[in-house]
Amino acid sequence: MRITAEEKEATRQRIEAAALELFRTRGFEATTTRDIAKAAQIATGTLFNYFVAKETIVAALAEEGLAKAHATVEKQPAAETLEESLFTLVAAELRQLRPLRKFITPVLETALCPLASATQNGEASLRVRHLETVARIARAHGVAENSPVAWQVYWSLYSGVLAHWAADKSPKQEDTLALLDNSLHMFAAWLQDAAAEPL
Amino acid sequence: MATVTELIAALPEEDLAIGSPSAKEISDVLSRASQQPVPVGRFRRLTALGTLQAKIGAAYLFHWLRGFFKSADENKRLLAETHWKTALRMLDSMTYLRGAVMKVGQTLATFPDIAPPEFVETLQKLHFDAPPMHWSLLKEMVNNELCDDPESVFASFDKQAFAAASLGQVHGATLKSGEEVAVKIQYPGIARAVESDFRNLTLFLLPARLTKDWESTKDQFADLSRRLALEADYELEAANLRKAAALFHEEDGIVIPRVYPQWSTARVLTMERLPGIHLREYLDTHPSQEERTEVGRKILRAWYRMMYAGKMFYVDVHPGNLLMMEGGRLGVLDFGFIMPIEGEEGELFRKMDRALTTGRIEDRLAANKEWCNLRDDETDRINLHEQYADWCWRPRYCGGVFDFGNETDFREGIRLFTEMFRRRYSRARPNTPAIARCQFAWRSMLYQLKAKINIRDIAEEEVKATGWDRSEYAE
Repeated sequence: MRITAEEKEATRQRIEAAALELFRTRGFEATTTRDIAKAAQIATGTLFNYFVAKETIVAALAEEGLAKAHATVEKQPAAETLEESLFTLVAAELRQLRPLRKFITPVLETALCPLASATQNGEASLRVRHLETVARIARAHGVAENSPVAWQVYWSLYSGVLAHWAADKSPKQEDTLALLDNSLHMFAAWLQDAAAEPL
Repeated sequence: MATVTELIAALPEEDLAIGSPSAKEISDVLSRASQQPVPVGRFRRLTALGTLQAKIGAAYLFHWLRGFFKSADENKRLLAETHWKTALRMLDSMTYLRGAVMKVGQTLATFPDIAPPEFVETLQKLHFDAPPMHWSLLKEMVNNELCDDPESVFASFDKQAFAAASLGQVHGATLKSGEEVAVKIQYPGIARAVESDFRNLTLFLLPARLTKDWESTKDQFADLSRRLALEADYELEAANLRKAAALFHEEDGIVIPRVYPQWSTARVLTMERLPGIHLREYLDTHPSQEERTEVGRKILRAWYRMMYAGKMFYVDVHPGNLLMMEGGRLGVLDFGFIMPIEGEEGELFRKMDRALTTGRIEDRLAANKEWCNLRDDETDRINLHEQYADWCWRPRYCGGVFDFGNETDFREGIRLFTEMFRRRYSRARPNTPAIARCQFAWRSMLYQLKAKINIRDIAEEEVKATGWDRSEYAE
């Protein structure tokens, strides 16, 4: 029997929704792929046609969240400063990723890791897509930065903020907002100084 | 070795510019600071504080060096210039640091005669003009706390803050039901940043640790730090506002803003927005003696009412927290820093009240000795404390109309206070800095108003209204 693309997408979404609910209620560690398949009303073998491991389900959920965040930010009017524009982007991402916060660490260690490859299944990786958005924002603020050092600095700060957020115990993760504000201030100042005084 | 002339020549060019900073320079400082996040990490704040000390030190050293080569008049002009530059630098650093350092700025601003007028004028801007968090950060804070963006929660929301608070900033907004409100929003993580500020301030005070009073000073700092941490809890402030509002009636002409609990949390406080002007603007309207005195009376009545009927010690007396409203009414804002008068503290307040009321030197000495833990053999210390207490309390116990605009008297208070500071007589109960600050602040406001008030009558009326029987004072 041939499965249509729509049916495939519907199954994929059912798996993601079932996984998210189980991660939330039972915890990431205690949930098995068998549990997820059962909750999504599919055979365990079928699940592996879609996701090779439960970590990849979280990565897919994160990817969707990040895409939604980027779409929201693109619709908004540009902020006055580079720092504020970058803050808007990352804050929107954090809002979308909020349901995944407690089990996002595997994604940080894989798809968002500084050592992750630039492409994934023939497509640009999460890291590359995020950096492209950041570069676009920087250009809109008159900063045409292409040095790999700049993006390595940015990525270290960004992944540091995400790692802090994943384990943030402050009320409503307010410390992450302060850390993000500080990090982006530092990065934007460095980028703008570097643009003004090229070595 | 370089000569003095060579040293002067080597000083940075920017310090050679003569003249007061323009409004544009101040506005540049504020706008630059608005681009900077609050440095939450202890090390970063410490670095900024250290830089500030160095800048101020350099400014005065520069003035001193140049003074060698200038005439007396020129010297005066240069001193004013140095004060201006120092004030600007301090403003620059403080708007960046906010938190507890801003408290220091506000405290200095209430001492009109201890610091040069230009300096105070610039610092006073901190009460109203400190720069805001950027809009995206603010939106996140509101979303975190009220579960939606400010534009959705309120019918309208001003992106520009209209006032700065030491721990946050205040925005104007309109509720969907039409009421004009003031929304106070806290900087993320500021409560922990304040704690870090105090650790830094304690480090800067380390040279004082060799004095006998170091332990007491340390306790006072710990107390202030603890109280500032309480100030970061806007739910507590909302409770204080509700308690204070219940103490006043329409005929008192004293207004406490109403709280809107539905749009308030521990980090966001939504209150009624009171229309009015602050002290400086009010004085610019050249009010008559009677009008100024009436404002002074209301300030004192509000303060005594809260103290006697509400058992609340309103500590944060400063021009930014009082509003002169239409029809001669007085608006009292900011209830974050309230000391409850209860328990052991309550007992000590009773003893202070006895001394304040009777004016008997033996009552004053007894209260002072207990408050400051003074020994009988510390004659100099006892005398200085007694003189200072007498300056503070004389207008109250003497009765009759007291001229708070008397410059000689005000300067005497400053002299006694700085003398106590100079001799490092800091041993006292931990809450003394807060009380001393408050005492000076309302005295300073009455001085600026040049008010002539019978303060004893107001206090006695307020005590009488509570039904407190103080017949034992006659003994």
